[in-house]
Amino acid sequence: MPAEVASLRYADVNRDVVRSLVETGPKYYITLACALGLTLVCFLFPWFYQLNLGIAAAGMNHPQVWGTYEASFIFWIGLSHSGTLLSCVLHITHSSWRKAMYRSAEAMTLFSLMVAVTMVMVHLGRPWFIHWAFPYPNQMELWPNFRSPLLFDVTAIATYLTGSSVFIYMGSIPDFAAVRDRTTGWRHHLYTLLSLGWRGTDTEWHRLGWAYTLLAVLIIPLAVSVHSIVSWDWASSIVPALHQTIFAPYFVVGAIYSGTAGIVTVMFLLRKYMSFERYITELHFDNLGKLLLALSLIWTYINVLELFTGWYSGASTELEALKYKLFGYYAPLYWEMILCCAIAPLLLISKRFRTSFVPMLVLSIAINIGMYTERFLIVGTSLSRKYLPDAWGLYVPSLVELSILVGSVALFSTLFLLFVKIFPSVSIYEVKETLPEAAELPKPATAERGGVQWQPVQ
Amino acid sequence: MKRDDERGMHEKWREYRRPGYYEELDYAWTMTIDLDRCTGCEACVTACKAENNLPIVGEKAFAQGREIQWMRIERYWEGEYPNARLRFIPMLCQHCEAAPCETVCPVTATYHNQDGLNAQIYNRCIGTRSCAVYCPYEVRYFNYNNHHWDPPLDQQLNPDVTVREKGVMEKCTFCIQRIRQAKDLAKDDGRRRVRDGEVQPACVQACPAEALVFGDRKDPASRVSASMNDPRAYRVLDELNTRPSVIYLKKVTTDAG
Amino acid sequence: MATSAIGLFVDPHRALATAGRLKAAGFATIEVISPIPLEGADEVLGKKTSVIKRFTFFGAILGGVAGFTLAAGTAVLYLHPTGGRPIIPFPPFLIITYEMTILFGILATVIGFLISARLPAIRERAYVPEAAIDRFAVAVSCDDEECLDRAASLLRAAGAEEVRMAASRPTWRLPNEA
Repeated sequence: MPAEVASLRYADVNRDVVRSLVETGPKYYITLACALGLTLVCFLFPWFYQLNLGIAAAGMNHPQVWGTYEASFIFWIGLSHSGTLLSCVLHITHSSWRKAMYRSAEAMTLFSLMVAVTMVMVHLGRPWFIHWAFPYPNQMELWPNFRSPLLFDVTAIATYLTGSSVFIYMGSIPDFAAVRDRTTGWRHHLYTLLSLGWRGTDTEWHRLGWAYTLLAVLIIPLAVSVHSIVSWDWASSIVPALHQTIFAPYFVVGAIYSGTAGIVTVMFLLRKYMSFERYITELHFDNLGKLLLALSLIWTYINVLELFTGWYSGASTELEALKYKLFGYYAPLYWEMILCCAIAPLLLISKRFRTSFVPMLVLSIAINIGMYTERFLIVGTSLSRKYLPDAWGLYVPSLVELSILVGSVALFSTLFLLFVKIFPSVSIYEVKETLPEAAELPKPATAERGGVQWQPVQ
Repeated sequence: MKRDDERGMHEKWREYRRPGYYEELDYAWTMTIDLDRCTGCEACVTACKAENNLPIVGEKAFAQGREIQWMRIERYWEGEYPNARLRFIPMLCQHCEAAPCETVCPVTATYHNQDGLNAQIYNRCIGTRSCAVYCPYEVRYFNYNNHHWDPPLDQQLNPDVTVREKGVMEKCTFCIQRIRQAKDLAKDDGRRRVRDGEVQPACVQACPAEALVFGDRKDPASRVSASMNDPRAYRVLDELNTRPSVIYLKKVTTDAG
Repeated sequence: MATSAIGLFVDPHRALATAGRLKAAGFATIEVISPIPLEGADEVLGKKTSVIKRFTFFGAILGGVAGFTLAAGTAVLYLHPTGGRPIIPFPPFLIITYEMTILFGILATVIGFLISARLPAIRERAYVPEAAIDRFAVAVSCDDEECLDRAASLLRAAGAEEVRMAASRPTWRLPNEA
């Protein structure tokens, strides 16, 4: 057990988390203002310009009808996979190192899903009709087309959004109760409402434990299916480079990979700026690093598979797609992706690297840049080389698109910054379970039934 | 077709489980394109543009690749000088019986109608552009912005066809407005069927070499039925099993290949 | 009027043991309030059944049915043949069914949790804020004074750091408010 954690007492945890919520300095407000400003300038204004002009504001053309908006959508959904999925898997396996970080990871999931939904709206040609993609009774007597892979998307993402929100909320109820007692004013009222009158009785804990585990068991297959379904947007087409069965596992692995890298980034920032040094320790980074290494190896394997099977098949369309990916116009991006996602993570073999905070931060950002490039390449290199060579084209993202990409990161940051001041970003009761005080808890074998022999106070 | 209350559950279930749903099409509009006759003059392209109010995107947008050409002439150079050869393939919406574009539209803005046409409903399109991704022939075109026609070109617009706003996907419709008109005339004329040659899309009408033949393949006496059974007949990207309704007649060349 | 006697303990062992002793002494309503879930609570206070599982199960079944009905029903309401596929194809609709199964399962779990944990707590219940930090409280609720006094004395004898007689207070008031 790391030295910092061993010295923590229960009361310290409450105090630290409440302090992280209530004490805000000028640094926070400046960061929030910057994030909001960037969102406005880089996301909203270019989007309004695009709403006015049409998709001509983006760099898309015929045949490249999908571009960075789609890539960003897939990227943000991918980023959302780590938090909740990882949290659920680690909960089922009773791992203890998850306890300090899973709350923020789940928040990451929620907000990246929201940003992904806004990217869909940016991507549409007529987003003011986006409600037509949802089943609601209307005068036209029209319903969405549930046979469409895009509708699987809508259903899956709606389910995942609901599931993630419910999961993070349920896990936070006891924490809301704890901070409710120590805050005043609007916070007190808010947390009173959110905690639903939670007291922490044995009955309530028992019920919560059951509900939480059941939710975790439900969410794991859900999360796997969500990104598979998102990949099937592309894999259900006949486009040579996209119509591959490997897409579902490829995307799920890629999502967990990029999401875990995102968790590392967020953990670093939380640790540094919210004074959580005693909670998010080297142990967490070490374990996240090992996970990243494993995922990086799987991801590399899948990429090699794609190359190998494509080359081996000898099909002209496949060969052309591969050639274009590796040596065509976007080749520098492809090799940058390989560098960031396959080669650089090999540094994680060294434990010294895994337990150093700043190198891990840099690597995690590099991995996410590489993963975004991967999504972009999937869109960019496949649509430009379809079946009819006369219809081949080239796509260069426009300034509006790049600005919206930056703006989406700013939007995510804004949401996350608001989150850390409203939600307890470290789970109080779960961290307490890992502390030495908790080691004194009775195990079932030692407690007798009914009337227990107790020792009088010495 | 029997009324809703005349069909039992069992019959309805069978209907809903039948691939393609239609037991029989009303008309099966088909086009054959004789590549031997095609000179690549692009009269069909121009006629289509005139008939269907295709926007003029401008030189800059065209260079960016945002052209809107429901009918386009694909050019393929083969060989080197002095044996260079140029092939033309007019490419338009193939109105596939198993169209990949139809399945993916989330709001069913494209569907297969009873005439065997792949119909696009402009009002319903929300612009996801996934149909364009799924189409292997690349015949779907997206309106990247609102278009305008400088006078006096606005006087040339066809009143039978809408003008599409930005964010809407469009493609060849086999001049459905002409088909509709022909069917209406036939109905007024004593509820008969449309006769062969009564309806011709703009491209078919304009082709100076008569390389394009259009008609109902359900009618065994139509020109298009005869043309379909030519030994040179083939379908583009046939291996994808899209079952297109446009049949090409292979160009016969003098040297091998 | 006070309706519960709450004893605060520093040691969770002692709190659980006291709860067991109180239960053996015949008190009906005993609750152990703690900042973290206690593993020995089942043995001392009696095994609890979980009804949430049933909510999840039936919710999931309902979701599966609802998912397929939604997809197939809406497909049939306005017939739009697409792509040479049937109006009711199974592969896409099974995916929708799967997602809705999980969605309804999740929602049913939440409803089951709220119902079985009797949350939100609208009526007043016994609570001490220290139990959310680092104290383990044993709360005994009684109807009459004499029962409460007996409980309080037992708690004191068991080594409670502090014994409070509380009117079941609404949890939304701070400890130093009336």
